[in-house]
Amino acid sequence: MSPRTRAALLRCARNPRVMAGLLLALAVIVVALGAPWIAPHDPQEQDLLNTLLPPMWSAGGDPAFPLGTDTLGRCILSRLIYGARVALYVAFVAATGAMLLGTVLALISGYFGGWVDWIIGRLVDIWMAFPPVILALILLVGMGAGVNKVILAIVLIGWTRFCRVIRSEVIVVRRRDYVAAARLAGFTHVQTIVKEVLPAVLPLVITLFSLEMGIAVIVEAIMSFVGLSVEPDVAAWGVMIADARTTMNQAPWGVVMPVAAIFATVLAFNLLGDGLRRALDPRLVTSRESL
Amino acid sequence: MSRIALQLLFRRVLLAIPILLCVSALVFVILRLLPADPVAMSLPPGATAEDLAKLRQAFGLDRSIPEQYLIWLGKLLTGDFGGSIYFRRPVLDLVSKALPATIELVFLGLVLGVALGVAGGLAMFAWRGRAGEQVLDLGTSGLMAIPEFLWAILLILVFGVALPILPFIGRLSPGLSLPPPVTGFLLLDSAITLRLDVLGSALRHMVLPATALAIGLAPLVMRVLRSSLMEVIQEDYITQARLRGIPEHTILVRHALKNAALPTISLIGVQGGFMFGGTVLVEMIFAFPGMGNLMVDAVRNHDLPVIQVVGLVYCVLVLAINAVVDVVYLMANPKLRTA
Amino acid sequence: MATLEARGLTVTAGRGENVPKVLRELSFTVERGQVLGLVGESGAGKSMIGRVIGRSLPTGFRVASGSLLFEGQDLVGLPADRLTGLLGDRIAFIPQEPLTALNPVLTIGAQFGEHLERIGVPRGERRARAAAALKDVRLRDPDALLDLYPFQLSGGMCQRVLIAMAFASEPALIVADEPTTALDVSTQATVVQIIRRMQRDHGTALLFITHDLRLASRVCDDLLVLYAGDVVERGPAADVSAAPRHPYTRALQAANPPLAGTDRRLVTLPDQMPGISRFTALHGCRFAPRCPVADPTCATAVPPLEPVGTRHVVRCVGECLAKAAEATVAAPALVRGDARGETVLTVEGVSKHYPGKRDWLGRRGPGADAVKGADVTVAAGEFVGVVGESGSGKSTLAKLVMGLEEPTSGRIAIDGKPVIANDPASREIRLGALQMVFQDPQSALNPRRPVERLVTQSLEAPHHATTEAERLARARSLMLETGLSPDLLDRYPSQLSGGQKQRVNIARALCVTPRLLVADEIVSGLDVSVQAQILNLLLDLRAARGIGLLFISHDLAVVRYLCDRVMVMKNGDVVEAGPTEEVFSNPRHPYTRALMAAVPPEDPTVPWPPEVVES
Repeated sequence: MSPRTRAALLRCARNPRVMAGLLLALAVIVVALGAPWIAPHDPQEQDLLNTLLPPMWSAGGDPAFPLGTDTLGRCILSRLIYGARVALYVAFVAATGAMLLGTVLALISGYFGGWVDWIIGRLVDIWMAFPPVILALILLVGMGAGVNKVILAIVLIGWTRFCRVIRSEVIVVRRRDYVAAARLAGFTHVQTIVKEVLPAVLPLVITLFSLEMGIAVIVEAIMSFVGLSVEPDVAAWGVMIADARTTMNQAPWGVVMPVAAIFATVLAFNLLGDGLRRALDPRLVTSRESL
Repeated sequence: MSRIALQLLFRRVLLAIPILLCVSALVFVILRLLPADPVAMSLPPGATAEDLAKLRQAFGLDRSIPEQYLIWLGKLLTGDFGGSIYFRRPVLDLVSKALPATIELVFLGLVLGVALGVAGGLAMFAWRGRAGEQVLDLGTSGLMAIPEFLWAILLILVFGVALPILPFIGRLSPGLSLPPPVTGFLLLDSAITLRLDVLGSALRHMVLPATALAIGLAPLVMRVLRSSLMEVIQEDYITQARLRGIPEHTILVRHALKNAALPTISLIGVQGGFMFGGTVLVEMIFAFPGMGNLMVDAVRNHDLPVIQVVGLVYCVLVLAINAVVDVVYLMANPKLRTA
Repeated sequence: MATLEARGLTVTAGRGENVPKVLRELSFTVERGQVLGLVGESGAGKSMIGRVIGRSLPTGFRVASGSLLFEGQDLVGLPADRLTGLLGDRIAFIPQEPLTALNPVLTIGAQFGEHLERIGVPRGERRARAAAALKDVRLRDPDALLDLYPFQLSGGMCQRVLIAMAFASEPALIVADEPTTALDVSTQATVVQIIRRMQRDHGTALLFITHDLRLASRVCDDLLVLYAGDVVERGPAADVSAAPRHPYTRALQAANPPLAGTDRRLVTLPDQMPGISRFTALHGCRFAPRCPVADPTCATAVPPLEPVGTRHVVRCVGECLAKAAEATVAAPALVRGDARGETVLTVEGVSKHYPGKRDWLGRRGPGADAVKGADVTVAAGEFVGVVGESGSGKSTLAKLVMGLEEPTSGRIAIDGKPVIANDPASREIRLGALQMVFQDPQSALNPRRPVERLVTQSLEAPHHATTEAERLARARSLMLETGLSPDLLDRYPSQLSGGQKQRVNIARALCVTPRLLVADEIVSGLDVSVQAQILNLLLDLRAARGIGLLFISHDLAVVRYLCDRVMVMKNGDVVEAGPTEEVFSNPRHPYTRALMAAVPPEDPTVPWPPEVVES
């Protein structure tokens, strides 16, 4: 391991944001994976005698439903726990897809330059003309609703974020003499990209991946909120908010709980990404050291 | 505005044309992937196959996709925006009612967001290295972890339900009569016609949605402004100004802010465009009769003619805001202005 | 009363008991109208004095003891507001990087005006005052200049503006920290001349900080040579430069290739100046580990400053001074390779045109001819130098030769076989014969590769089936050849010194046994003593391998030392070419003559710097 890598890892480990984000994210992941064992109820199980129960600590609460119930008497806590599965599944798969697509295009675009760069650049321009939510809605109307369609939509939107940011970093790296030196050492273009350019932009890719996970959680929540993601009876945080909105006056906790879940999950990925950026961005690192 | 700014604006308009052509084609093709048949869905249950075919022909849906696109584009260029399947009204009517509302909302959101962001960024910079900065920094992380539409819901819960001090449904209190349309913009019209009751009500109705939008923008502005300030104060010319005995506040205002404003302006350009996206759900949640509400209704009812046009209008808005911000950037950056 | 007087000034880095002293017991005086030169290589601590005055020491650094008196008041303990009152008014600074020292979004007029406001010039008079000041530094059309932005000016013009600003308040003291380092040779001479003339006219005391002993001895009245935070020698400039006494000062002078006179092999010191973290381990004379004449006592006790002449003091013990005198005379004559081998590289009429960049409105700029019809040949065992200032096209020429850029027209051949930039066949031909050493090792060495994988990087390319053992053996032999310890094989570039990095850079190029090296400004970032080591390494490689070299540099003296033939480039044109001795002893083109005149000459009777032209 190069001292640079070691120092970077050490900076990450010492960064409170990275650690807080990591712990929070791990907690959400554990909850999602262990849902069947943790959740007190089946998320679809209706108890029509106990609808709109408040959380157990307020008056009229029932310890059997720690966070209360919704209009159909379903356990809010259990639905939150199962909702984490949907959120994380979408976040992970969609962010991976967007990362792969965006990074490959960015490497090609920034490394080769010329007309390839021009075409990819114009493609990004066209994509950037859409507010992301609008493009997502249009894509989901065209492809039909469903959670996998949501993932596809996020990939088709999120790649530009990777492509724009990483491309400009690739251009910076491309100008370094060690890239030219690799070519002069007889490296093929693919070798040069994989061995010299990619490792230099990898910290940025990881940072963006973390932030993209947070964005994917939000987009999934929006789409399930407007009913374009999971089936309406599946426990997803957006669906829960949409269901509880009608009874917001009597039972605000039905809205507040899933909002808190989204907040915690997105915060985890944002803190992680933000901390990684601060720990890994060479410019930020040097400027802090010289202060 | 200087000649160079006008030239830039003109160029941005020219550049927008191919982008909009691509965007419209893209939207059109995506929407033709649609597995369900919106026409069939809009027919009453008793309709025959013949009725369906007739209606499909009326909407031009029996032709090939490129053909349909060219016909649609041709009509669009002559001002015929088509008719809504669901609302049974011309799309142009719907859009021209909804567009001013959205523009007003985004304008307020931008102003509020930039003001909060700049104030917060300056505060963070002033408190650099102290606890205040850490608190604000963590605060921005928290604010950014909640998307606009959830802010909308939370704001309703707090200021509409728990402390009912602000209205959160629609654009005006019921019972108020609209002022005669002059510009189409409610705030302007009510101000021009001195309908202060309408103006007040409209503004009160916009406080919560505009705040929800502003909260999406402000933390980003804060962070970019702060980090650009931090970067700028390490520049050689700041050190040199100090070595000339120039007072710190003069250095901040005259030397640092002018340079640090540049990245902030570009950020506002990109995020201002995204803010139009944020209006979609915010408008829906506040039942605010703008483009976003129209879009959601159209999406839910597979109203393709409306989706196409509304999608395109959003892109026009994004490109317009980008162009305006580019001009501001140009004016603020002598390196580009004098090139 | 002296304008500036340091009394036992000691600056430490970090907190705690055993902190390194970055400056140790520094004492000097600068009188009104006097110029004191602070000379030292990077890490010597020469910039610390300016930072103590401006109170801009890096975090963790502080004045531990001693005082720095400006007109009798101690700047170290002065309240901040009183210091700020002095800065810009009684004490002014001339910075190192003129282009970044001016705010890019404010016009020259606005910045000059702000400064005049600071020193109390009424609003109505400011513009006229500024214009007059600019005229005083020989800037043409000052009125128009005031409405321009810094980036519309050249580096030299920005530096003149900053000089004018520094003198505007008639300060008692000016601190100039490497004011010419960032500038081209010809601009350098002009700027030095302006500073010197203004200083003389205004009777200002000037602290001139530089790494260039030769320049300092021409500019300054007194010199103070710093090594690792210690004053090693101090005295009148004429005495110190004519007869340096300290072994380090001698070595510094001997490591600097001369621009005239007989050719001797440069005498080099081993290793390089210790970094701050190693200071605490050096109890005695900090130069002792590198000193050619050190005796065991040197390493244990710090020698005091001993007088050796009028106002001339040296931090060394008597016996060593005598031995040092013997050691430096014995430099062997320079052996030049005279056997010319087969021509490896032929460049005929090569041109490169860069189309203009599109500006914000998408209009294409006029573009630039980086190289216009250049001809070069380099044979095996031959060293050819290309000299020019920034923008002369010399680096582009290197890229064209290496195939990193495609020529617009002309022909490049290797061993008589034509090569075109991007086709695989010419790539094969090039890779077998040519290698490149890059200018900036920071950028040329992938920070994620250890030294072993850097020097043998070529073996990773296709068609090189080598085992790890073979690779390690190859790395070891390359290390030996370039004078690097094999212990460094596991290190990463960030753990190497500047000189070591440049050696790794050279070793990597040698891996595939090229017959010709193309070296682009490979010593420009190095300190003089390290530069001499690298230059001698190149000469040794020629002797051992019969390798040819296309050596690109802005430094005339270095090119003269190293090369058999030289070509001078200006704005893409080759203005003069020929055997080195001929070109340097009898330059024909006015540009070559101007370049040579801009270098401070060895001979103290030659007037220098030359008179200033307006720009």
